[in-house]
Amino acid sequence: MSTTPPRPHPVPEGLPAAVRQALAVAEPRHGAHAGLTSDLTIDETLILHSIAWAPRDLVVGLSVQSVPSVIWSWGSGEIELASRAHARAFAHAVARLHAEAVAVGAHGVVGVHVERRILSSHIEVELVGTAVAPIDARPLPDAQVFVSDLPARDFALLFVAGWRPVALAVGASFTYAPRRAVGAALRQQTQNVELTNYTEALYSARATAMERMQRAALDAHGAGIVDVTVTEGPLHFAAHAIGFTAWGTVVTPTPNARSIDPITTVSLDDTVSAFDVASLA
Amino acid sequence: MSDAPKDLPEASERRLEEIEHGLFTSDLSVNEFLLVKEAGYHPLGLVMGSSIYHTGIQTRKWGESQELTKLTEAMYNARELAMTRMEEEASELGADGVVGVRLDVNYYEWGKDAAEFIAVGTAVKAEDGVSRRNALGKPFTSDLSGQDFWTLLRTGYLPQGLVMGTCVYHIAHRGLGQTLATTGQNVELPNFTQALYEARELAMTRMQDEASRLGAAGVVGARLEEKTHQWGSHTIEFLALGTAVTRTADEITLTPPVTIISLDH
Amino acid sequence: MSDDLPEAARDRLHGGAFTSGLSVADLAACHAMGLEPIGLVQGFCAMQWGYGPARMGFGSGGGLGMGLATGLAPNVASGGYVQNYQCPHGMVSAEHRQWGQNYEQTWIEQSWHDGYAAASHRMLEEATTLGAHGVVGVVDSVASLVEVGVVEFHLLGTAVVVTGLERPASPWATSLAGQRLAKLFEAGYAPVSTIAVVSSVRVWASCMTEYFMGSGAGLWSAPADSVEIDQLVSARTRARQLVRERARSQLQGDELHGVDLRVNEREPGPGDIDIEVQLRGNRVRRARPADPLAFPRPAVSLS
Repeated sequence: MSTTPPRPHPVPEGLPAAVRQALAVAEPRHGAHAGLTSDLTIDETLILHSIAWAPRDLVVGLSVQSVPSVIWSWGSGEIELASRAHARAFAHAVARLHAEAVAVGAHGVVGVHVERRILSSHIEVELVGTAVAPIDARPLPDAQVFVSDLPARDFALLFVAGWRPVALAVGASFTYAPRRAVGAALRQQTQNVELTNYTEALYSARATAMERMQRAALDAHGAGIVDVTVTEGPLHFAAHAIGFTAWGTVVTPTPNARSIDPITTVSLDDTVSAFDVASLA
Repeated sequence: MSDAPKDLPEASERRLEEIEHGLFTSDLSVNEFLLVKEAGYHPLGLVMGSSIYHTGIQTRKWGESQELTKLTEAMYNARELAMTRMEEEASELGADGVVGVRLDVNYYEWGKDAAEFIAVGTAVKAEDGVSRRNALGKPFTSDLSGQDFWTLLRTGYLPQGLVMGTCVYHIAHRGLGQTLATTGQNVELPNFTQALYEARELAMTRMQDEASRLGAAGVVGARLEEKTHQWGSHTIEFLALGTAVTRTADEITLTPPVTIISLDH
Repeated sequence: MSDDLPEAARDRLHGGAFTSGLSVADLAACHAMGLEPIGLVQGFCAMQWGYGPARMGFGSGGGLGMGLATGLAPNVASGGYVQNYQCPHGMVSAEHRQWGQNYEQTWIEQSWHDGYAAASHRMLEEATTLGAHGVVGVVDSVASLVEVGVVEFHLLGTAVVVTGLERPASPWATSLAGQRLAKLFEAGYAPVSTIAVVSSVRVWASCMTEYFMGSGAGLWSAPADSVEIDQLVSARTRARQLVRERARSQLQGDELHGVDLRVNEREPGPGDIDIEVQLRGNRVRRARPADPLAFPRPAVSLS
């Protein structure tokens, strides 16, 4: 540290010039992207730009399917009505999202957030994502417009490595867990014993749901499914029903496959350690 | 800052003496430790200060918006005492400053209306032997992490002190007549706007005044928080907090960052 | 300086040292961009929150619903989205709803708009007082700190000046700061303003909707298959469309980035659903044709 007076900060010349230039533009450019809305972060937008894609619009699709609440209580095997309602709720929501994407001339939808609620009386699905397309590209035939829950960053990384998303594949199965006979329940009260009725119901639901998801992927001519989200287990409103659902993005290779060739880094970051003002309560 | 007496307990004196013989303790992570060293500083020891403070009661007028100066003073003095004691410990070690300061408040069962205010941080000293103490001749304090400390120094700034401003404000209740007159309408309430606006401005002004006393060029990481404590919803503490910094003549050596796409989880 | 700001604000803004809500990393980025932080600025507005037009008389546990149930014509404030759903059954019983309705609560939307606009205007006024070019790192909160029925809009940001540039008529604003803002500029965009809009749609369920949602009396035997609840789907879809349309109408040819869509749904009473959708984002302007940055280097951290 010396005693010389502070001098103006030297800064990389390019950036401040770019800042001044950008801020000097007083009028909006009424170009192709006028009125564009996107929920991508600036990072995601720039990653898309770097592969010559751009967001087109924020798109939404939702559906609410009513199911008679009596179906959850009694029966055996699969609760077909519930599985069908779940499939329809997704199908309608995806179709509406897809239609909005087609309407803005997008080639696909990335970063789809899936909000799904299963209640005794209805099943709700809401999808929110960003429609994207290569910069200055023409619209694709409707059937080729994809829907994917992969974030824009993952989409770009796949793209660079020579893969592309095709569709969202969903599989679900709801199954009755048969009640144990009263005698069996009494006998087992003091024992350590596997509740085979639940185990079997869960196995059956899982097998059916995964099979449905895979079939959806094959129907979409995909090579595989990545980033599968699985939820399984009992339904809080129905003691004798079990649900298993899975969804993920179907991907397929493009002719431009290549290595992404990662570098290695060592990070000197810690998790944020600045103190929380809330602790001053 | 008050001229607090040298009132450190004996056990604390002994611990500090041991530290002076070379061993250092710090709650810095390895990453932070290496960055503090990289910035040209050496950690001396963990320093802390605390104060158990009883906050008095102040009567409020139902229909009047006003600052509760007694409570403001209590909240301010308690934190200030804890900070001053921590600075004393740091001075004892011959430190130039304290980094990674955390301010906490503990409530104990035995003390109604009493709270313990604690300040903990790591005392550091410049390795080149040139004093980096602040304008008041005391060790600088800051809540910056080791990473932020390194970045700040590379940007040509030096922390001067953790600065804060607080304001406990009572917001007037509305009279029945006023409430009725506006029922069913969605309109701005100028009295509320004015009172809440002013309370925040006062807290921010006080923080800036502290920074000015330190001769700081600015405050970074300023935050503004609202707390109702146990006073009921119409009495609110507004707390502004940040690190005062001053410009140095050092070279700015922060290189433009490289963009990467992380393949980690 | 206008008299919209309280005196305490005026006093503070004439103080010496700059104050910024920026982190150290953000401060470093500001210097790299040639932006100089000059002060923390805020804007605030407290709004009374009523129930809308007094003649509506709801909020008292279904005043509107009672009217609907007894076969009176639906009664809503003029303007905005309205959709009626008539009962297909005819008169069944006194409790049976003969009408269902979706309607936009335009008075709530208007108050929200006024409150946010006032807070935003005051923040920009503080920035103007400081002689700022823009405000970075804007955060907003909509809270109810003092009492129920009072909604407080608060915006907080850091005012900056741009070295070597003429001051604009009104400062620009963005919620971005630090490297993200630097990247925005590098990509050829300029920040314009922050945008926050809201839509509010109320659903008074028709007998069918209520039944499908599980709260109706068991008048019919269970249907053999699942059916879509059209009334609810329409209301939710419309609420989401409304915010997007409203945001787009404010863009005037610019783009909206980093949109955050938040949905609050309440059920004040059976078959009475209140849907509120908030949309926030940064209005940005493309200043020069797209000049993509290179694809970032994939990296694995060896921790």
